[in-house]
Amino acid sequence: MTSEILFLRNEVTPAMIRGVWMSIRLIVPSAIFGLIIGIVVGTLRVYGHSFLKAAANIYVTFFRGFPLLVQLYLWYFGLARFGIFFTPYTAAVIGFSLCSGAYHSEYVRGALLSIKSGQMLGAQSLGFSKTQALFSIILPQAVRRALPGCGNELIYLIKYSSLAYMVTCIELTGEAKILASLYFKYMEMFFIAGVIYLVLVSVATWLLSTVENRLIIPGFEPPRA
Amino acid sequence: MPENAPVLKVENIKKRFGKTEILKGISFELNKGDIKAIIGPSGGGKSTLLHCINFLTRFDEGHIWLNGIEVSYTDKRELYAYRQKVGMIFQDFNLFDHLSALQNVQIGLVRVKKMPKAEAKERAMMELERVGLKEHYAKYPAELSGGQKQRVSIARALAMDPEVILLDEPTSALDPELIGEVQSVIQDLASGGMTMMLVTHEIGFAGSLAKEIMFMDEGVVLEKGAPKKILSEATCDRTREFCAKIIHLHHKSA
Repeated sequence: MTSEILFLRNEVTPAMIRGVWMSIRLIVPSAIFGLIIGIVVGTLRVYGHSFLKAAANIYVTFFRGFPLLVQLYLWYFGLARFGIFFTPYTAAVIGFSLCSGAYHSEYVRGALLSIKSGQMLGAQSLGFSKTQALFSIILPQAVRRALPGCGNELIYLIKYSSLAYMVTCIELTGEAKILASLYFKYMEMFFIAGVIYLVLVSVATWLLSTVENRLIIPGFEPPRA
Repeated sequence: MPENAPVLKVENIKKRFGKTEILKGISFELNKGDIKAIIGPSGGGKSTLLHCINFLTRFDEGHIWLNGIEVSYTDKRELYAYRQKVGMIFQDFNLFDHLSALQNVQIGLVRVKKMPKAEAKERAMMELERVGLKEHYAKYPAELSGGQKQRVSIARALAMDPEVILLDEPTSALDPELIGEVQSVIQDLASGGMTMMLVTHEIGFAGSLAKEIMFMDEGVVLEKGAPKKILSEATCDRTREFCAKIIHLHHKSA
C-alpha cells in the first residue's frame, strides 16, 4: 500500500503536473490564435473580395480535409525536408491553431449569414462604411451567435491537444503513456489522464457558459429552467 | 452651395433586376420643407426607389443631387457624408439588436461623426426625448414595442442632422393601435419643417401631411398632384381604382 502512495507521490503526481502544464501551454495559445484565425477567415468567406474569399475557402478545404495528425506530421517532420525546423511545441501550436481556425471559421460564417441584411442597411444608411458596419454592428452580433459552436470547437481542442505527443511534444497524454509503458499500468495511467481532461473540459464549459451569459442581449434570454 | 437649388433632386432613375425593369426613369425634386408621398401597389418600385436614393441599391441609370451637388458611388467618402444628410426609416426598423435604444442612437454619432462619447450620449438622449422615449433609453430592441422601435429608429436618423428623411412604409409593420404614435412623431417633424419623402399605404395620413402625392405603379409615376386631386379626382384610371380600393378597405375596417 505504501509503495502505491509513494509511486503516486513521486512518479505520477510530478509527471501529471508537468503534463497538464504542457497541455495548457498548448491549448491556451492555440485557442486564442484559432479563434482569431476563425473570425478573420469566416468574415472573409462572407464579406471578402472574390480573391480573398477564394483563398479563405481553399484554406478551409485543406485544413478541414487533412486529418489533424497528418497536418502535425507535415509541420514537424515534413517541413524539415525543406530546411524548416520547428520545435515540437511550435509545430503543435501551429497545427492546432490552423486546424481549429478552419473549424471556427465555419461557425463564424454561419453566424454572419444568420444576421439579417437590414442590420447592414441600417448602418449604411447612417453613413457607416461597410467595414465600419462589419466591426461595430455585424460582428458583435455574429460572435454571440457563433459562441456555442466555437465553444464546442474549444472543447474539441482540449482533447485533440493529446495528439501533440505524436510529434514528441510530451503533454498530459504523453506523460501518461510514458509512465504506463514503464510500469505497465495502462489502465491506471490513462484513466487518470482521462479524468484530468474531463476536469479541463468542465472548467472550459463553465468559462464558456459564463461568457455566454455575460453577452446575452436583453430580450433574448433563454427561458429559465 | 448653389442658391435656391432643391435639397434633393432625382433625375431619370432606372433600375432593373435581371430582365425586369423595376424603375423606368423616375424624376422629382424636393425643396426645403417639402413633403411628398408616394403611394401605389406593392411591387410597383416604391421601396426600391427609396433604396436607390440612399444608394443602398445600385441603380443602373440616373442622377441624384443634394443641394445642387451631384452624388455618385465613385467617391465613397462623399457617399458616406451624403447618407448622413439623407436619413432613412425602414419598414422593419432595422434597429441594431445588440444595442440599447440609447446606444442605437449614439453609435452613429460616435463611429461616423466621431463625436466624443459623452457628447453623443447627451445628443442621443435629447433625440429620444424628442420622440417621447427618454425613459426607455436603456431598453433593447427586443424589449420595445413595434411603435417604440420605429420611434427609436427615427431618433437615430434625426441624431445625424439629416436634411431630408426618406420613410419607407414606416407604419406598415405595426399593429393598428401603434400606428398613431409613429404618425404623430412624423407629424411633429413635418411641423418642424423637415423635408421628407414618404412611401405609405396610409393614404389618409399621406393626404393630411404631403403637399404632393405621387402614384407609382410598374416602375413609373403614373400621376402626381395635390392630395385632394389624386385621392378623389384622379385622371388616371389605375390611380382611381387603387385609391377607391384602399378607401373602401379603410371604411370597412373602421
